[in-house]
Amino acid sequence: MKESYVDLINIRRQIFAKIAKIAYDGTDLSELEKASFEILPGEVATYRESIFRERAIVEERLRLTMGLNARKPTEYNRVTDGIAEVDVAETQFIEPLINVIPHACEACPTKAFYVTDNCRKCLAHPCTNVCPVNAVSIGKNRAVIDHGKCIKCGRCKETCPYSAIVQYDRPCAAACGVNAIESDHLGRAKINSDKCVSCGNCIIQCPFGAISDKSQIYQLIKAIKANDHMYAIIAPSFIGQFGPLASPAQIFEGIKQLGFKDVVEVSLGADITTIHEAKEFLEKVPNKIPYMGTSCCNSWTLMVKKLFPDQFEYISDSASPMVETAKYIKAKDPQAKVTFIGPCISKKLEALREDVKDYIHFVITFEELMGMFVAKGIELSEIEVSKEIEDASALGRGYAIATGVAEAVKKTALAIDPSKDINVECASSLHECVKLMRAAKAGKKNGYLLEGMACQGGCIAGPGTLASFNRVRKAVTEFKNQAKVESPLDNSIIDENLRNV
Amino acid sequence: MKIKVCAGSNCTLLGSMNILDQIDDLKDIISEDADNYSDEILEVEVIKCLGYCKNTNKKVAPVVVIDEEPMFNATSQAVMEKIVNKIRKQN
Repeated sequence: MKESYVDLINIRRQIFAKIAKIAYDGTDLSELEKASFEILPGEVATYRESIFRERAIVEERLRLTMGLNARKPTEYNRVTDGIAEVDVAETQFIEPLINVIPHACEACPTKAFYVTDNCRKCLAHPCTNVCPVNAVSIGKNRAVIDHGKCIKCGRCKETCPYSAIVQYDRPCAAACGVNAIESDHLGRAKINSDKCVSCGNCIIQCPFGAISDKSQIYQLIKAIKANDHMYAIIAPSFIGQFGPLASPAQIFEGIKQLGFKDVVEVSLGADITTIHEAKEFLEKVPNKIPYMGTSCCNSWTLMVKKLFPDQFEYISDSASPMVETAKYIKAKDPQAKVTFIGPCISKKLEALREDVKDYIHFVITFEELMGMFVAKGIELSEIEVSKEIEDASALGRGYAIATGVAEAVKKTALAIDPSKDINVECASSLHECVKLMRAAKAGKKNGYLLEGMACQGGCIAGPGTLASFNRVRKAVTEFKNQAKVESPLDNSIIDENLRNV
Repeated sequence: MKIKVCAGSNCTLLGSMNILDQIDDLKDIISEDADNYSDEILEVEVIKCLGYCKNTNKKVAPVVVIDEEPMFNATSQAVMEKIVNKIRKQN
């Protein structure tokens, strides 16, 4: 979540902690009816024009965090209506994952160019001269844009010597790389689920906090209380997320105190994925497929599937690091129920896939995990630990940062076959991913290894993070450098047959 | 000036890392403007939970302590204003 949106973070995360506490305490769920009063007491509004609206929105957030849909403003429903369906100890997914809370959305106008007070009505008026559709004219006080004619090319904005023309867009729509944000009959954002790839960037960007995903923390905690074989696997971007004082080993121990039997780095799965993808690349490109796309970012692969279906076969079939890590645990404990903890919302969908659902049982974000730590009263920095975390290689730990996946696969492929010449191109942000796929489809990336990540800068910028990009990048790089081995091929935890080349 | 920012669980959940990031940026602003700010060093320390939140039902997180004076429900703007007011040259 965007760290500078302080008030939004406050509300959103308090709710995670609240639901986690209800789950751990075993509180009767009828208590949810009054939870919004506990979170926002009093009668004076803090965030919006009225406390009643604030509470109504909090109630929808409580429902979404429980895994339910937000209520329709047009229908009578109590906060807890439908709650029995999600009062279970397993993931109960109700579509869609990404939701606009209708009465939280302020129906921002769609993309347009506006002339501001900076306009001096200058003699040169280049704005009118560069407009390809003659939409700009000089009015009584300033330049005027005819929105009926304007094709939003932005040339007037570029040329104005006074910076008097601004581009305005809905933050949610601007953040969406696949044009999935549409409008409902009241002009509020509406997500077209046929286009949406659940990357969660609209959730990060909406300054009204009107978009939210659904959570599984309630069901997860119920499962933890009932099952002794709960394992957590944590994504490579976890370093630094839980405060500057919490060491990786303390984070692992803290997760165990939440009730998990053991914790494993997903970077281990990244190592396994790397070896698979390196071998796959060497075997298939360029003889069987013209290029190969990486497979670990679920939103990237979904985007290719939806927008470039004829290219989908060129995306690697290797399982993602999440799945490989879970397979590793399952091999040791067949009864294992695995929870993926990461920066990512899209993984919540990947976990439902036919080929994945037997390995991954829950997916939560770092933000949600932090809510669980608070609910349990766990202070990570005060936990005593002795051993270091040593599940993965440096290259595996680098997966969290954009270009890290391609780097790992390329270096590993070159270690296997030094004679091979491997070109790499990386895109991070869904907009860039779409551009890259257009070029690939046009045959401009033949022979390439293409890395796609839906979040700008990689997983460390994911929607479920707590710490800022720079802070985590530094921490992840440091942890990467501490790895005992550099290459996945030297990681002795991994099956020797796989590592043999 | 001594600035302590709590990195306990509650404070981290409610944005203490953002306050730290903002103080870091503020250091640049201050160091580039010797005319207006004294050269007093900002000592920023990340501290473990001080226990304020655990001894009360009230909301207090995030907690920041500036020269031994605690600030509850600290926001980065309030913290930065306090620092700037203390370090600005008087004339």
